[in-house]
Amino acid sequence: MTAEQILFLLTGALILGSALMVVATRKLLHAALWLVAALFGVAILYAILQASFLAVVQVVVYIGAIAILFIFAVMLTRREMRDQGQQTRTNWWIAALLGLLILAGLVFLILAVPGADRLPAALPEGLDTVRALGNALVSPEAYVLPFEVASVLLLAALVGAVYIASVGKKD
Amino acid sequence: MSIPLSWYLILAAALFAIGLFGVLSRRNAIAILLGVELMLNAVNINLAAFWRYLDPAQMAGQAFAVIVFAVAAAEVAVGLALIISVYRRRKTVVADEIDLMKW
Amino acid sequence: MTQSDLITILPLLALVVWACALLLVDLFIPKGRKGWTALLAAAGLALTMGLTLAQAGREASGFGGMLRLDGFSTFLNVLFLGSGLLGVAVAYGYLKRMDLERGEFYSLLLFSITGMMLMAQAADLIVIFLALELLSIPLYVLAAFARPRADSEEAGLKYFLLGAFSTGFVVYGITLVFGATGTTSLAKIVEVLAAGSLGTGSLLLTIGAALILVGFSFKVAAVPFHMWTPDVYQGAPTPVTAFMSVGAKAAGFAALMRIFVMAFPSLSADLTPVLWALAALTMFIGNIIAISQTNIKRMLAYSSIAHAGYILMALVAYGNPAVAADSVASALFYLVAYAVTSFGAWSVVMSLEKPDAKGLEINDFAGLGRRNPLLAAAMTIFMLSFTGMPPTLGLVGKFFLFRTAIEGGFIGLAIIGVLTSLISAYYYLRVVVTMYMREGEPQAEGEYWLTFTTVVTALATVVLQFLPAALFALAAGAVLK
Repeated sequence: MTAEQILFLLTGALILGSALMVVATRKLLHAALWLVAALFGVAILYAILQASFLAVVQVVVYIGAIAILFIFAVMLTRREMRDQGQQTRTNWWIAALLGLLILAGLVFLILAVPGADRLPAALPEGLDTVRALGNALVSPEAYVLPFEVASVLLLAALVGAVYIASVGKKD
Repeated sequence: MSIPLSWYLILAAALFAIGLFGVLSRRNAIAILLGVELMLNAVNINLAAFWRYLDPAQMAGQAFAVIVFAVAAAEVAVGLALIISVYRRRKTVVADEIDLMKW
Repeated sequence: MTQSDLITILPLLALVVWACALLLVDLFIPKGRKGWTALLAAAGLALTMGLTLAQAGREASGFGGMLRLDGFSTFLNVLFLGSGLLGVAVAYGYLKRMDLERGEFYSLLLFSITGMMLMAQAADLIVIFLALELLSIPLYVLAAFARPRADSEEAGLKYFLLGAFSTGFVVYGITLVFGATGTTSLAKIVEVLAAGSLGTGSLLLTIGAALILVGFSFKVAAVPFHMWTPDVYQGAPTPVTAFMSVGAKAAGFAALMRIFVMAFPSLSADLTPVLWALAALTMFIGNIIAISQTNIKRMLAYSSIAHAGYILMALVAYGNPAVAADSVASALFYLVAYAVTSFGAWSVVMSLEKPDAKGLEINDFAGLGRRNPLLAAAMTIFMLSFTGMPPTLGLVGKFFLFRTAIEGGFIGLAIIGVLTSLISAYYYLRVVVTMYMREGEPQAEGEYWLTFTTVVTALATVVLQFLPAALFALAAGAVLK
C-alpha cells in the first residue's frame, strides 16, 4: 500500500465519518460543523486528484460561503429548534434501507464496469489545468454558454432570495 | 498515482447514499438541505475523478463541477431564505408536513 | 461567436435581457401602477414570441453543439411563451386583488420561462441541468410569493426541498452518463452509442439514464414521485399554480424527450418496462385519489398528475421504432391540449377565489350555471376536455395518444388509459353537476384580463379540435431527427 493510498483512505474515512455525523447528530449546529469537516475532506480529495482549482473553490466557496450560510441559518432559527424532540422521522429505517439498497446497487455497478480499476495516466506535459479550465469556461466552442447561464441563474436566485427574506410592509 | 478509479466512485456512491438517507430521514428543513449538499458533493467527486481518469486534457469534468458549485450556491441562498421566512412565521422549521415519504 | 451561435440564442438572449431590464425599470414604476410592469413583461414575451416565430423552420446549432434550434424547440418555445403570456394576463388582476402586487413577480416569471426555453433548445446534459435549475429556482420563489401567507410559504419550501432532492438525482445520473461515454453532448453520446464499444459500460449508462428519469419524474409529477404536487399546487398563488402545471410539466417532458429520444433511443427500449409501470401507476393513482378531493385546487393537482401519466404513455410507445415519430408528435399535441385546457380551468378557479384561500371548495361552484352562465359553460368545456369527451381538444389529444399506444403494441396500457379516463369522468363531471344542479350564490370576479383568458382558452379548446390535422402536422414536423 502506497502513501497515496493511505492518504486517500484516511480522507475517505474523514468524509464518510463526518457525513454520517451530519445526518445522525441531534444538534443541528453540530451537523453544520460536521458538514464543514466533510467538505474539507472533499477538498483534500480534489488535491489528490490534482484538480487544484476545484480544491481552492471547495474551500473558498463551499466552506467559506455555503457552509457558513448554513451556520448562520441554524443560529438564526435555533431558539425554538434547540434539540427538542425527535430529530429523525419514525420511519427512518425505510430511508436507511433505501440508502443501503442504492449504495449496494451502485457499488455492484461500479465494480462491474470495465476499466474501473484503471490507474490515472500522468497529466500531459505542460498542461496548466487552471489555465485550460479558464479558457474552456469562456470559449464559445466550449463552456461559455453554461458559464453565462449560471450567472443568470445566480441573478435570479439573488432576486428571489431578497424578495423572500425581505420584511414585507405588513410584517 | 496508485489509486484505482473505482475507489473514488465508491466513495462518491457512499456519500450520495448518506445524503439520500439524510434527506429522507430528517425532520428539520435545514438538516434535509444538509443532506442535499452531501449529494451534490458526491456528484462533484464523480466529476473530478472522471476528469482525471478519462481525459485530463479535456476540461469537461472540471467545468461541469464549477457549474455545480454555482448551482449549489444559488439553491442554498433561495432555500435558506425560504426556511428562515417560514421560521419567522411559525417559529419552527420542523418539516413534519413536508414528509417526503408520505404517500 | 459565430452567426449560427447568434441565431440559435437570439430569442433566449432577448428574453434574458428584457427580464434584467424589467428588474431595473420596475424600480421606477410607483406602487399601485404595477400594471405597467405586467404590460412590459407581456411585451417582452410577445417580442420573443415574434423572434421565435420568425425563426420557424430554421435549423441551427450553436456553441459547439450545446444549443439547438429546430422544429421541436420552436414548437415548445411557442407553448412556453404562450403560457407565459396567459400567466401574465391572469396574474395581473389576481395579484392586485390579493394585495400581492410586486414587480419581482414578472421578472422571476420571465427568468423561469427563459429556463424552459433553454430546456427545449438544450443539446448538452450540462445545459439541461442548468435549464432545470433556471426554470425551477424562480418557481420556488413564485410558489412562496404570497408570503406571509403560511400555506404559500410552505408550498415554496416543500417544492424547493423536493426540487433540490430531485436535482441531486438528475445531476448524479448525468455524471454516470458522462463517465460511461466521456462526453455530455447528446450528439456525441449518440455517436459513442452507435460505435457500440461500450460493452458492460452501457450498464453505467442505463443506471445513469434511470436516475435522470427519477429526477424528472419528480418534476413532471409522475407517481410515485408526486407527493409534493397537491400541497404545492394548493398553497401556491393560483396564477403560479396554473403556470407551473403547464410550463414546468412541459419543460420536464421536453427534457425527457430530448434525452431519451435524441440520445438514448436504444436505451429507451431497455427502459420501456419501467416507463410502462410509471405511466400506468400515474394514470391510475392520479385519477383514483382525485375522486376523493373536495378542494378544487387539490382536485386539479391530482388531475395534472394523471395527465402526466397520459403523456408518459406516448413515451412508452417510443420503445417501438415503428411508431417512434408518432409518439413524439402525439405527446407534443397532448401537451398543447393539456396546456390550453389547464390554463382555462385555473382561470375559472381564479375567478371564484376569494382572499385567504376562500372559495376554493368544489361546493363553492354551486349555482354558477345560473349566476354566471358564461363562466359555467367555459368550465364545462374544460372539464369535458380533461375527461376526453367531445366537443373538445382533449378528445383529439387522447385519441392520438391511444392510437399511438395501440399501434406500438401497448394495448394493455391503452386499455388502462381508457378505463382511467372513464374513472376521471366521475370527478370532472361532478364539478359540472355542482355548477348546474345545485343551488348557490357564487360571486365571480369580472376582471377583464381574467375573463379574456377564460374565453380565449375555451374557444381554443373547442376550435382547435376542428383542425387537428393541421396542429398534428405541426407537432409531427417538430419531431426530433
